[in-house]
Amino acid sequence: MNDKKTMRSRKKKPQEMDMAPMIDCVFLLLIFFMVSTTFAPMPGIRVQLPPPGKPNPNKPKGLIVRIANPEAGQSKGVMVLNDEIIEYDDIYNNLLDQPIEIKSMLIIQSERLVLHEQIIKVIDLAKRAGIEGVGFAVVARE
Amino acid sequence: MALFRKKSERETTLQMAPMIDCVFLLLIFFMVSSVMKNEPSFTVTLPDSETKHEFPRKKYNLFIGQNDELAIDDRTHDLYSMERWLSANQERISTLIIKADRYAKHGRVIDVMERAKLILDKEEGQEIALMVSEEQL
Repeated sequence: MNDKKTMRSRKKKPQEMDMAPMIDCVFLLLIFFMVSTTFAPMPGIRVQLPPPGKPNPNKPKGLIVRIANPEAGQSKGVMVLNDEIIEYDDIYNNLLDQPIEIKSMLIIQSERLVLHEQIIKVIDLAKRAGIEGVGFAVVARE
Repeated sequence: MALFRKKSERETTLQMAPMIDCVFLLLIFFMVSSVMKNEPSFTVTLPDSETKHEFPRKKYNLFIGQNDELAIDDRTHDLYSMERWLSANQERISTLIIKADRYAKHGRVIDVMERAKLILDKEEGQEIALMVSEEQL
């Protein structure tokens, strides 16, 4: 009789599940995911490349900036805009003065060893001068 | 009298179920929306720029290091394996995010961009973005 009673009380216990440890666990996970999520977007620059395939026989409309490999010991290469050597500090003003119809597009023709930072700088200045599209010239591969 | 006692007994236990539902919902939301940072073995310092566009954080970022290293998330690649990876996972990418180091060579960046351009479909709105540093100039 006594035995039976304890049996019953033991049987009754697992009927109500102990939720506390699970909730602790879920809270921990929740806090982890809340802290580790970042919703802030990443800043970047949209770029264009000429459509793949054959090079366009017509001269592309727009400005062309050519950048040469930096000389030994220097971090920046010589830049040419419209066949004129141009200093970095003058790019912005120079681009700003261009006629509006060719300001829609800037094409960057750059040599391979030019640092990425320099290219970004030119794109940045061009965008600030009101040029919407910036593209890169690429050499066709075999 | 018996009815009264019953009522007061009920009030002593807190109703946990709605709170747990709520917490679960939040948990699932954060689990689904979070993107884990996945960075390659080499460090990439992004260049500065004053003009910047905003792009949502996504998986599958392409990293270009100073010494021509190439990686997609934390896996290193070379140009050929990158090309293969891109064509295999093309439909998973909406904007190809390129994180190139400020001292990366332009030639390498162009190599990557040009290959990506051949694979990505412009009609579906896939585009290329060069990331810049988050610091305000």
